[in-house]
Amino acid sequence: MSTATPTTPAPEGASLWHDAWLRLRQNRMAVAGFVIFAGITLLCLFGPTFFTRHAYDKTQLEAHFKNPDATHWFGTDALGRDVFIRVLKGGQISLAVGFLATAVSILIGVTYGACSGYVGGKLDALMMRAVDILYSLPFTIFVILLMVIFGRNFILLFIAIGAVEWLTMARIVRGQVLVLKHAEFVEAARALGYSTPRILAHHILPNLLGPVIIYATLTVPAVMLLEAVLSFLGLGVQSPMSSWGLLIQEGAEKMDIYPWLLIFPALFFSATLFSLNFIGDGLRDALDPRAAKD
Amino acid sequence: MNRAGRKVFCLATAIFLAAFQISCQRPLSNVESGNRDQVLHLGNGTEPQGLDPHIVTGVPEHNILSALLEGLVTEDPKTLQPQPGAAESWTISPDGLVYTFRLRKNARWSNGDAHTAQDYVYSFRRILNPALGAQYAYMLHVLRGARAFNEGKSKVAWETVGVEALDDHTLRLTLEHPTPYFLELLNHYSFWPVHPGTIERFGAFEKRGTPWTRPGNFVGNGAFVLHEWRVNSRIIATPNPHYWGAANVALKAIHFYPIDSADTEERAYRSGFIHRTQTVPIHRIDDLRERRPGEIKFETYLGTYFYRLNVTKKPLDDARVRRALALSVDRAGLVSNITRGGQQPAFHFCPPGTGGFTAGVGLKYDVEEAKRLIADYLKATGQSRVPPIEILYNTSESHKVIAEAIQGMWRDKLGLDVKLLNQEWKVYLDSVMQANYLTSRAGWIGDYNDPNTFLDMWLTDGGNNNTGWTHARYDELIRQASRAPDIAARLACFREAEEILAREVPVVPLYFYVNVTMRHPSVQGWHPNVLDHHPYQHVRLKAP
Repeated sequence: MSTATPTTPAPEGASLWHDAWLRLRQNRMAVAGFVIFAGITLLCLFGPTFFTRHAYDKTQLEAHFKNPDATHWFGTDALGRDVFIRVLKGGQISLAVGFLATAVSILIGVTYGACSGYVGGKLDALMMRAVDILYSLPFTIFVILLMVIFGRNFILLFIAIGAVEWLTMARIVRGQVLVLKHAEFVEAARALGYSTPRILAHHILPNLLGPVIIYATLTVPAVMLLEAVLSFLGLGVQSPMSSWGLLIQEGAEKMDIYPWLLIFPALFFSATLFSLNFIGDGLRDALDPRAAKD
Repeated sequence: MNRAGRKVFCLATAIFLAAFQISCQRPLSNVESGNRDQVLHLGNGTEPQGLDPHIVTGVPEHNILSALLEGLVTEDPKTLQPQPGAAESWTISPDGLVYTFRLRKNARWSNGDAHTAQDYVYSFRRILNPALGAQYAYMLHVLRGARAFNEGKSKVAWETVGVEALDDHTLRLTLEHPTPYFLELLNHYSFWPVHPGTIERFGAFEKRGTPWTRPGNFVGNGAFVLHEWRVNSRIIATPNPHYWGAANVALKAIHFYPIDSADTEERAYRSGFIHRTQTVPIHRIDDLRERRPGEIKFETYLGTYFYRLNVTKKPLDDARVRRALALSVDRAGLVSNITRGGQQPAFHFCPPGTGGFTAGVGLKYDVEEAKRLIADYLKATGQSRVPPIEILYNTSESHKVIAEAIQGMWRDKLGLDVKLLNQEWKVYLDSVMQANYLTSRAGWIGDYNDPNTFLDMWLTDGGNNNTGWTHARYDELIRQASRAPDIAARLACFREAEEILAREVPVVPLYFYVNVTMRHPSVQGWHPNVLDHHPYQHVRLKAP
């Protein structure tokens, strides 16, 4: 006979990710940021195929500098092109450059920084000096060199920007790894005989996510601005293509006469940057509750 | 309050009020103080390449040098007709080959030295000297034997060149062929004199870039002297007390500011920093026309805006493609919607009325014909698509807008794949000089009022050709024009040359310039003319 001991179900193990998700959902600003960001991204991706009344490269000389109205929601530019479609098209480029370049920089930066920090010693010194040397290269000259060797190419822009932006990422990751590798749980993992790649992937990387994500949300806008600079120098996207940075730069020259040329792209650009910052902020709080402000 | 206290209180109040007064007083703007003191403030485009009249090639340099130096002949500020300058009179031989100039006895260099015919012989010899490598030396090739001497052919003695000082104040110039525009040519800075003593002191006879052009060193014979030169900031010229007409010079100083950006310059004008701008940003024209109708000026300018086509590269090596490009540009739409300064659409290269010459209509706007030409070309070469075409322009908002419009026309009307490429000014110049482009934007401003200044560019060995285009008959026509017996024969040569250009299309003319500038109403004696030349000795400031 067995006494029926009440079987309390074992408390379900809440994973790190589940916890984080719950915390993130409670952060209203982050959720709002996420919604706005998703909205802008979807609009930019599918807008030009959906609103086919105007084409981004269709010039209509007689319709230059038209005020925003029912046909041209955001007005037209100097060549009579519809600003609404140009803002969406420019968004595709800006977002693509921003995210792809950031992805490249995360991929290189995290791998490089984690190896350098975890292995330490002479290799660490060597790898970090290499970073220092790359840091000292003037960026514009580096890009011009790339252009001279490979010709003007849009893909190259991602690689060039990503290849420069990873440096700071590598330094941040290395610093974190230096702290983490002496943490007790890493010592424990090592004592249990886990291999170095496993320790790096399972124990150190998840703890790096906070700083990496925060830095990534800062990298995206920086990269978008960089793209605008390059385009202005004639090294980035060229007309009739456009990007937010370029549209803003063009609009800024004419803002006192044709304000809509600046207002709309700037609105989209800053809304994206704002929401990215709130998302980054929310993610940091969610992933690393110790660092939360409250 | 005791007496001492009251005193302190009164004093403090007085000081406070005085300070308040000072802080409330708006400092006078450049224009306001300039109008009071007769100081002219001018926007001058870019920092000048230099101030050596035998080296420089640009317009900003001309604007400064025309204050500092004076040629044998100057021009009427309204009509540009030749006027006595450093020479008080001249005679021309009946065959039009020998010009004898009588120099002013009262003319002096700005250091007080005597100004003699020998100085001109020295100056002409300097610019023609092959060792100096002056780009504009070809302007003097109208002088007899000058080309041979300039090209450094062996054993060409300077004595064979048609420049001779008969005495201290008589200069005789002998020409290769009769040249109807020779007197106007003399007003180009390549013909202006330099002070031999100064050149010798700095060893600048064969050397470029010596400090002889610095303030304090520069000795000129113009109405003004170089007073201050701060790189990228400003150049100041003050009256030359030794100038023969000094009594009639009203201005007390001229300040030249190198302001590259049209937008910055326009803001500088609005804030009263300068009396006159070099240009106006295209997108502000409509607005300024409305708000400052009396100050925005649209003046005819002897210049052509065009696209060079590199005929050495595919697909532009085929005249059909080049002609199709030229025929498919909607020039009327371009000038009425984009440039909007009243520019004239250009269907030939030389601006109408240059030296009394107007070419017949060479090109037209004919998309059907252009499409047919492209189809022909594709069939003849067995291609299915025309290779991509790239437009090179120097980084500037105005050039960009025009390039985008042209890109749209070629793409929409001919179905071509057109790319844009912008480069910084010096890189762009380099690419054009090395013919490292497919099509590139360009502008040409006449150096003198004669079709020759436009049409001799496209000679096979023309220093500014840069398209790789060469045409034996064209070369012959331009050379023939220079020795034509009468004006009619001369213009006939130019007319045929323009027809060849329209057929062969090494360049796509787009529009004839209009000089759009802002000028303050206080600037008097500044007359609009096709070369944008404004002798400063005639300018005065009067507050309206």
